Amino acid sequence: MFAHIFMYRLKCLLRDRETIFWTLIFPLLLAVFFNMAFSNLNNGETFKAIDIAVVDNEQYQEDQYFRSALNEVSQGYDRLFNLVVVSKDKAEQLLNDNLIAGYIVVETPLKLVVNKSGMNQSIIKNFLDNYIQTVSAVNSILTVNPSRQQELFNDLGNRRQYVKEVPGTKAEPNNVLLYFYTLIAMACFYGGFFGMREITDTQPNISPLAARINTAPVHKLKLFVYSMSASLLIHIVEMLVMLMFLRFAIRIDFGTKTGYVLLTTIVGSIAGNTFGAFISAIVKKSENIKVGILICVSMAGSFLAGMMYQNMKYIVAQKIPILSYLNPINLLTDAFYCLYYYDGFLRYTVNIGILLIFVIAFCLGIYFIIRRRKYASL
Amino acid sequence: MQVFKLCLKILKKNLPLMLMYISIFVVVSIIMTFATANEQQKENPFSQAKSNIAFISEENSPLIDGLKQELGKIANFVELPGKTDALQDALYFRVVTYILRIPEGFTESFMKGEDVQVEKTVVPNSYSNTYIDLTIDKYLNIARLYVQQMGDISQESLVRHLKRDLFNGASVELRTTANDSRNNIYLNYYYNYFPYALLYVLILGMAELMLVFNDSDLKKRNACSPLSSKNMNMQFMLANVMFTFVSWLIMVAFCFVLNFKSSFNMNTVYFIINSFVFAISGASMSFLIGNLVKSRGAIAAVSNVVTLGLSFISGVFVPQEFLGSFVLKIASFTPTYWFVRANNMIAGLTQFDFASMEHVLSGMLVQVCFALAFFAVAMVIAKKKRLS
Repeated sequence: MFAHIFMYRLKCLLRDRETIFWTLIFPLLLAVFFNMAFSNLNNGETFKAIDIAVVDNEQYQEDQYFRSALNEVSQGYDRLFNLVVVSKDKAEQLLNDNLIAGYIVVETPLKLVVNKSGMNQSIIKNFLDNYIQTVSAVNSILTVNPSRQQELFNDLGNRRQYVKEVPGTKAEPNNVLLYFYTLIAMACFYGGFFGMREITDTQPNISPLAARINTAPVHKLKLFVYSMSASLLIHIVEMLVMLMFLRFAIRIDFGTKTGYVLLTTIVGSIAGNTFGAFISAIVKKSENIKVGILICVSMAGSFLAGMMYQNMKYIVAQKIPILSYLNPINLLTDAFYCLYYYDGFLRYTVNIGILLIFVIAFCLGIYFIIRRRKYASL
Repeated sequence: MQVFKLCLKILKKNLPLMLMYISIFVVVSIIMTFATANEQQKENPFSQAKSNIAFISEENSPLIDGLKQELGKIANFVELPGKTDALQDALYFRVVTYILRIPEGFTESFMKGEDVQVEKTVVPNSYSNTYIDLTIDKYLNIARLYVQQMGDISQESLVRHLKRDLFNGASVELRTTANDSRNNIYLNYYYNYFPYALLYVLILGMAELMLVFNDSDLKKRNACSPLSSKNMNMQFMLANVMFTFVSWLIMVAFCFVLNFKSSFNMNTVYFIINSFVFAISGASMSFLIGNLVKSRGAIAAVSNVVTLGLSFISGVFVPQEFLGSFVLKIASFTPTYWFVRANNMIAGLTQFDFASMEHVLSGMLVQVCFALAFFAVAMVIAKKKRLS
């Protein structure tokens, strides 16, 4: 009996293009979008030279050190600034037209004029501060030690990097990964579409197909479990396809614990499927409303787990820590990240443990809602 | 006005579902607006919000104390136990974004002019970390000048010199009042998220209408009604236009509700105009999509893929300056890109003469062109369908 129900259920589900779209194609498309949007976040290509102007006044012409310092950073391929030397009126106009991030007026102290504050403006300010402070140091050295002028100027050129990065764990910290991990978690919970169908197709009061199936002399619980396992199989295979796509096409790093990553995905898939079935069993409204609730809950969960805006995860963890443990999508995301980031297994075990409690709760819920139903008429 | 009324009925029937989507999208937009705008505030160098760092020094010396004081200007120090997993956790939950460790013997080697480094462990890509790096580099580089050029300098006088040097800085003149630009950041983010929610609702509603009216049996029935097809089309169009207008109005109204006390300036006016222009191009895009889809399931699929796809590549979720040039090139073939671009420009506007508005206006013009193009394509498709 198992083989019969299972096989036909499998065929039936595989022909449902809509569910396949939501559970497989949609997450894959999102992965491609993520990749397009985030591919630049982790490499240095993002920096573009900043457009600035300097006011061409007497002090600027006289201050040869400042001029050479400014020219030095405005030349070459990896320059900091695109510099124009213009009159005050022209600079003002460029600023108003937003063609420059700010302009510099050479006076004492140096003045920076901007019309908003942002990353580019602060880089300019930092450059100016640095120049002023170095000049101040040079002056105080020269008052004590005037003979060393030449060595001093030579020395100015070799700035050193004094900060060395030491990774906190063996894994290289990588923010973009988290987006993809939330995506996997979301895809797991979109498996809820399968679980939802299982309820729709086995509960006689919801669909005619289910009414027909229920006339068969098969134990109802067995019927449900058999066809649910067909759903699970398809979804787990889909999730594995997605993992392969992420790993080999988009080159997402999952760390070294591959076996655990697979285990997490499977637990996630089970959680998603049972979640969908649970929603479908508990909400006695139209199909559209059920789908709407499923999408809204999983989207809200993904949002809180940081899928659209990563810091959301940390805001939740700091402000409402309990919520981060009650959000299954966050638990799943966290489990993936723990595998990647931590050397130990403590946090991972906690996450998976709570997730399993969720699965058990969903299963019990489904069982108590759909058991022992009898229909006088359909 | 039978057709018009029918449209309203269809929309009304779909209202609960649409409201559910609208509310979740609006909530997401609002949270994101505030969260990202706050983040932006923190990164604002002129307001100098401090980031939390851990300062772990394995030795004590005047040089290190001076460094700590200097860092105190831009950061708060958080005491952490020195154990590895406590540090991992602290970074993981963003209790601190930066852990600085001064290795033992650093000062001694430094004063001898040897090549030494301090160690950092950081949350990646955090913008405020760059300031901490810069500050440390600046402090130690200037200190190195003193050590190399005045070899026998004592640590105490070195720190005194450094303190005096680092006290200097460029003066900054910020043209608009701080409050104004802050407010613009909120508005800028809110309106940048605008396409996400608005497009979703427009596609959902309009495709639903088209689906009903494109049903071939229904079409045949309508064709033998005494209403002229011109009249019918006009009513149908009117319903679509009204739907677009009301959706747009609701979204704009939210913005006023949230931020009403500071919404009355010229920038807001242009944000609203720009969003209206976008609503037009969004509507005609939805009209095109409505002409193409064949089933209810497809509507949900297409609306999700289109809105999320456009939002990701054209700078709604990830700011345009972080996107690669290749992605932006693709994005420039979508109205969302031009909408977000115009928004970002409007946020920076301080004057509203034609010269400074030129780029904003051209952005709007491109959106209108998109609207016309989508509409034309939709008409061609509709005509073809009618003839076949």
